[in-house]
Amino acid sequence: MSRLEIKLKVNGRSRSFAIAPGEVLLDVLRREGYHGVKRGCETGECGACTVLVDGRAINSCLMFAAQADGCSLLTIEGIAQGDRLDPIQEAFLDTGAVQCGFCTPGMILNTKALLERSPQPTETEVRDMLAGNFCRCTGYTKPIEAVLTAAILVGGLKGSRTASTAKRKPR
Amino acid sequence: MSKELASVGKRVRKVDGVKLVTGRPAFTDDIHLPGLLYGKILPSPHAHARIKRIDTRKALALPGVVAVLTWKDVPRVPHTTAGQSWPEPSPYDTYLLDNKVRFVGDRVAAVAAESRALAEEALRLIKVDYEVLPAVLDMEQADAPGAPVIHDEPDSRGIHDAAHNIAGHILKEIGSVEEGFRQADLIFEHEYRTPRVQHCSIEPHVTIAWLDEDNRLVLRTSTQVPYHTRRQVAMILQIPVQRVHVIKPRIGGGFGGKQEMLLEDICGALALATRRPVKMELTRHEEFFMSRSRHPQILRVKLGIKRDGTILANQMTVLATTGAYGSHCNTVQGNTGQKVLPIYRASHQRFECKVVYTNMPVAGAFRGYGCPQGYFALESAADEIAHTLGLDPVEFRHKNIIRLGDIDELSAVLGEGRRGLPRHIRSCGLPECLDRGAATIGWSRKRHAHEVPGKPHLRRGVGMACSMQGSAIAGVDWAAALLKMNEDGSFNLQVGATDLGTGSDTVIAQIAAEALGVSVDKMIVTSSDTDFTPFDVGAYASSTTIISGGAAKKAAELVRGQILEAASKMLEVPPDKLTCRDNRVVTVCECEKSVTMEEVALYAMYTLKHQIMANASHFNTDSPPPFCAQFAEVEVDTETGQVQVLELVTAVDLGVAINPLQAEGQVEGAVAQSLGYALSEEMLFDPQGRMTNASFTDYKMFTAKDMPKLTTLLVETEEPLGPYGAKSIAEVPINAPAPAVANAIFNAIGVRFHKLPIRPEDVLRALREKQSGQKAEAPRPRRRNRVAVAK
Amino acid sequence: MMPWIESFQRPTTIPEALQLVRRGGRRARFVAGATDVLVQADPSTRILVDVTRLKLNYIKRQGKGWAIGAATTMAALEQSKEMQRLADGILAQAAATCGSVQNRNLATIGGNLANASPAADSAPPLLVLDAEVVMVGPKGRRRLPLTKFFRGVRKTALNGALLVEVFIPPLPKGRAAWSFHKLARLASDISVVNAAVGLGLDGKGNCQWARIALGAVAPTPFRLLEVEKRLQGKRLDRALVEQACAQVGEQVRPITDVRSTSSYRREMSGVLVRRALLECAEGMGHKL
Repeated sequence: MSRLEIKLKVNGRSRSFAIAPGEVLLDVLRREGYHGVKRGCETGECGACTVLVDGRAINSCLMFAAQADGCSLLTIEGIAQGDRLDPIQEAFLDTGAVQCGFCTPGMILNTKALLERSPQPTETEVRDMLAGNFCRCTGYTKPIEAVLTAAILVGGLKGSRTASTAKRKPR
Repeated sequence: MSKELASVGKRVRKVDGVKLVTGRPAFTDDIHLPGLLYGKILPSPHAHARIKRIDTRKALALPGVVAVLTWKDVPRVPHTTAGQSWPEPSPYDTYLLDNKVRFVGDRVAAVAAESRALAEEALRLIKVDYEVLPAVLDMEQADAPGAPVIHDEPDSRGIHDAAHNIAGHILKEIGSVEEGFRQADLIFEHEYRTPRVQHCSIEPHVTIAWLDEDNRLVLRTSTQVPYHTRRQVAMILQIPVQRVHVIKPRIGGGFGGKQEMLLEDICGALALATRRPVKMELTRHEEFFMSRSRHPQILRVKLGIKRDGTILANQMTVLATTGAYGSHCNTVQGNTGQKVLPIYRASHQRFECKVVYTNMPVAGAFRGYGCPQGYFALESAADEIAHTLGLDPVEFRHKNIIRLGDIDELSAVLGEGRRGLPRHIRSCGLPECLDRGAATIGWSRKRHAHEVPGKPHLRRGVGMACSMQGSAIAGVDWAAALLKMNEDGSFNLQVGATDLGTGSDTVIAQIAAEALGVSVDKMIVTSSDTDFTPFDVGAYASSTTIISGGAAKKAAELVRGQILEAASKMLEVPPDKLTCRDNRVVTVCECEKSVTMEEVALYAMYTLKHQIMANASHFNTDSPPPFCAQFAEVEVDTETGQVQVLELVTAVDLGVAINPLQAEGQVEGAVAQSLGYALSEEMLFDPQGRMTNASFTDYKMFTAKDMPKLTTLLVETEEPLGPYGAKSIAEVPINAPAPAVANAIFNAIGVRFHKLPIRPEDVLRALREKQSGQKAEAPRPRRRNRVAVAK
Repeated sequence: MMPWIESFQRPTTIPEALQLVRRGGRRARFVAGATDVLVQADPSTRILVDVTRLKLNYIKRQGKGWAIGAATTMAALEQSKEMQRLADGILAQAAATCGSVQNRNLATIGGNLANASPAADSAPPLLVLDAEVVMVGPKGRRRLPLTKFFRGVRKTALNGALLVEVFIPPLPKGRAAWSFHKLARLASDISVVNAAVGLGLDGKGNCQWARIALGAVAPTPFRLLEVEKRLQGKRLDRALVEQACAQVGEQVRPITDVRSTSSYRREMSGVLVRRALLECAEGMGHKL
């Protein structure tokens, strides 16, 4: 079996990986030290292995690494600016949305993609998005709050929203 | 609260939060070891079989396969996998590998290979000749005459009656239920059934084992019980405890599923055999049938009630199955009685339980530990009785619930696999939970408003249930904490307490910080490592806050004493005129002097030549119960039978909430699991005992789209036995959502469900039966045949 | 992970892709979003031919109809303004129910159809839209109504050809409404039953035409032609709807599996069709 070389960007850095043709992106990323990409089910249900490929959230267990050739990836390791956390990370911490933290990287990345696409999401949109990230600890109440809070923080940083919209009515 | 607290009661961020949101390599599998091998278990394809011959030559011949172990290669040591205090009150009926397999998924052999693909390939090359034996899958058939005997091996011990597949039996009574039934005006009796469900922590079971430079076996593992695991692995592998080192890194959820020595023994055996690091991780598919589940039960409740609603006698008779091995079989089922029946003050209580073996996947500890089963039965019954008597269900609870000052005598006779201790109710916020929960959901209004305007096929209803749990196992659970001051005024807080995502590191840090008068960020928490942190039974039985937190508080108070001693020398003020506050030692007299913690630390280290540090151990002889009242609003689609939960309110007395943010999180997560228990989760099997829905595609847990609005009310009381008045929170909110939902469905459509999960098919069928029944019997109001007026 | 895969090809032209699969024979398989290929993890597959670089990712006008490239993702369909408008958005709605956001970002319309799951959510809307599939095989390009594409559980008319495009012909003229309904155990789940309905009414409330398709209740998603005929030309009232829905139960051939029972699926088929018909009627302001 011949190994392939793929060239891609991970967290802004150009990388090239030697991969087996049947390998999934999840296995390659973990082997290359991106441990924030978690293995939860390997059937594309739990979302713990979520990464962004060209800005879109995908389950890296359901993507052949070969298909990531030429793509630009974002993993949880690339979200913070050095020691400065991303507002989404801050929101997850402040709202108590993190318990065991195993599903958290996937949730944060999925949130990142959602907020790029829809900067002021409705709670329905947030729930639809988080349905792709299984969490057995939180019951989703605080993660939903975290995403809505993050939308305000991110919007606030862009100068388009004020904190007064922070309180949203739950469903 | 008597005085202002600085850290306790605050919604502080998790102390381990940053590493989790940044994806730092904090979990078991987040390390790379040179030469790491991949271990896999060959699971049995048969529910019950004897291994006649096993040929591993082809597997061993495959390049890259380093070891294959069968029952012939390992020591035969009967043990239990239950992570409990020694001596474990579970039967010793399990072997590292055996020449008999007892369920589909049981261990046949284990391999270690250079890669996962090679390990999987090697499994296919192991040739096994089985003598397939008749299997018993149905718990009601397990002790029937002629049933195949699952544990016929002579060396297992602690089994109640192996010849009849009875793993355990419990019969305890206080008062005389027969007498109670005689005095009763009404007898209510019914049977309830609960399913086999699973924890589904998103991180599967995973262990990495290696021999360190001193030839000691290191186990980096996803466990709730590092100390029990160390002891058990040493015993099973027949090496001294001294040679085993267990490291618990961050854990991706456990919920009881990791209160179990599950992979550590076999992974350790492979590391010893290969003298190389070995990783074993269950796939999600394997996780479902090769790890643990909640015990399915058939419960028969019988209550004797006076016309005014007073419960006189409360009897529960349970048949449960532990699957092929008896992990936690006595204690989970004991809890079904001990933590359920005493919620009502009946003077006559009787609990009987038979736990049988079946050729099914093994049950074990699961959040709630027997209580979700018991409360589904009892709280469904309570609702039905209230309805029969024309009493409001909330009023019925008020009339009967255990109260402040009561002594629960059932706990005295029904302990954890042994005689227990009476339980004194020193704090009880249950009445307030009932009232505040009812007010929050709009109980009195919604009880009678069932229609949805413009949607005649929808019916709404509200229901409630209440429950209690414990805070650690009385007289059994204990913990130690070690606290050491560093020269910058920070502290190493080393605890055996096992944070598995529950937030216990944070809660324990808050407790220690409070006692020391320092901020939480001064705490460097290490949990847990059997070489570096002191003993703790582990994370289970809702014990960590009260027991491990209690130990941390004691240790902090000792350290505080040493700090004051040192500061007293520095300030020339007697210690009793000093206190710790805001990271400083300050005088309480009028002289107003102070030193910083950092100055004290430097002085102690370099002038006094004294390491300020202390360790302390803690246990309780009582298990103060947290209390909970939960209210559900549902909407039933009468055309599809689908039930949507619209809102769930939890009012919980947890003592003092050390960290309200985390306490709410515990409630919300427990509710999500219980809603699945009520409506969607169930492990399904074919007639050969093979699981048919062993994936997240078909084992249905509530997602963010399914979850209703959750409201959590923390009803605080002050528990004298708990650190800063705390009791516990992790388990109690998982008990009552399922019966609350079932009761709400009754309120909505007038149909009772006695079996979980309540599936759309069942709802539709029941509605049909009700309609046809009403047609046949109309117009006479239907008499409840299960409640008879006694004499 | 499919460690047995020997070769992963990423051709950029359709002829190249076809040649690669032809050369690989039974061992070769097309792959697009991979969401089904990786879950099924068929050990006999040794060569994968990726079709995501064949420029088959488009939603465009073609004549008076719509052409959708086979590699168009469910997310693209769901977010397409045109698809949200077309036929009351039934295809976009169905796409939005195909699993999680992450999977919708990978899963393609071509893959959903070629996989031929009886429960494929995109199938009933496409069936009522009279969609056609365009396939390119060794013998060239051919076009087939979707009704003739499904041949059984996970069986299609592809036979080595590549599904390149889904064509939605112009919608019927006149007053019409469309509806998609899905019933599953939980919100994000494989369908227990899914249904799509298109309904044309004249000014008097007479049914000009009806199109009804169901999924997950037979070996393939299918059109309920007899039920459609029963409705056609009649005044749409409660009684007619009830008759039609009663007939639905006779047309389905559901199975019992871990997701549901045969009898429940049968009964729900009628319920979903009724709800969809009523929603269509309501959408046209027709009171029943």
